[in-house]
Amino acid sequence: MTEADVAQKEIEKYLQELRAALRALPAEQASDIVEELRSHIVEKAAASGETTPAAVDSVIADLGKPEDLASLYLIDDLQVRALASRSPLLVLGSLFRWASLSFAGFWVLTSSLVGYFLSGALVCCALLKPIHPRTAGLWMIPNGTDYEVSLRLGFGSVPAGSRDLLGWWIVPIGLTVGIGLFLLASQCGLWCIRRLRRASPIGTH
Amino acid sequence: MSVTATKAVPETSDKWEVQVRKGCLELAILAVLWSGRLYGLEILRRLEEGSALIVPEGTVYPLLNRLKAEGLLASEWVEADAGHPRKYYKLTAVGRRRAVHMAEFWSIFSANLDSLLAPLRKEER
Repeated sequence: MTEADVAQKEIEKYLQELRAALRALPAEQASDIVEELRSHIVEKAAASGETTPAAVDSVIADLGKPEDLASLYLIDDLQVRALASRSPLLVLGSLFRWASLSFAGFWVLTSSLVGYFLSGALVCCALLKPIHPRTAGLWMIPNGTDYEVSLRLGFGSVPAGSRDLLGWWIVPIGLTVGIGLFLLASQCGLWCIRRLRRASPIGTH
Repeated sequence: MSVTATKAVPETSDKWEVQVRKGCLELAILAVLWSGRLYGLEILRRLEEGSALIVPEGTVYPLLNRLKAEGLLASEWVEADAGHPRKYYKLTAVGRRRAVHMAEFWSIFSANLDSLLAPLRKEER
């Protein structure tokens, strides 16, 4: 194998790893990125005359690890889509990726998850009240000498001595607060993503 | 992203310098594209020649991709004589407006900061 073949092989190996790391993107977009970087590596490695394995190594080292490079593209992609569609799945996807990179991201993700979860629970409770009128709702349940407040979906019976706090009010209140919380969690997530984008030209870090 | 890992960044540079460079990179890219289309490596070379913007290469390509997604840049593949195609970028109308706006902001900002820094410079002399 000649030097040029070795150099070519190294380029292919790098680009294959990059492509694998970009698999979350639509195929066409991933190919576009891979081809652009191929063009960069080929041209820059040949700039000093011969394309030697050492020249390729140095060009690749400047670009950084394929996973790191890919993660910059992926974060941007998710953020752009999350900001455009506001879909909670994309917001969460974007936050997950951020959380894997930084502590701040982890907290934002955790709060968003709690927000979405509570919102879902409240709406479910409101919707299940007509089906389980005697057991669904916001209950005060005795716990030793103390009471605990519990949101019950109405499956199973309620312990003796418990008190339904809201009665049928759970339906309008649960729906309003649940939907409000859902919007709030989405807004907060998007707000954090936007701030994060402003903080750096590339995304996180 | 650890920018300090890039060999191009001098040892003396601290986090603040890195942040300043990063913050200016978007404007610098829009500026080098002002007079016509360029492909990635050309953009990198212009940035390195024309300024103290020592740029980690791995950040420029994703940034170009993002500026394109935001509609500030458009791109096209061109078959080059070099034997491999090149992806050229150019400013869109939105990108030109944004560049002008950023340049205006930068002038005011840097003039204000300069006047704040004037006393420090006198001290040095």
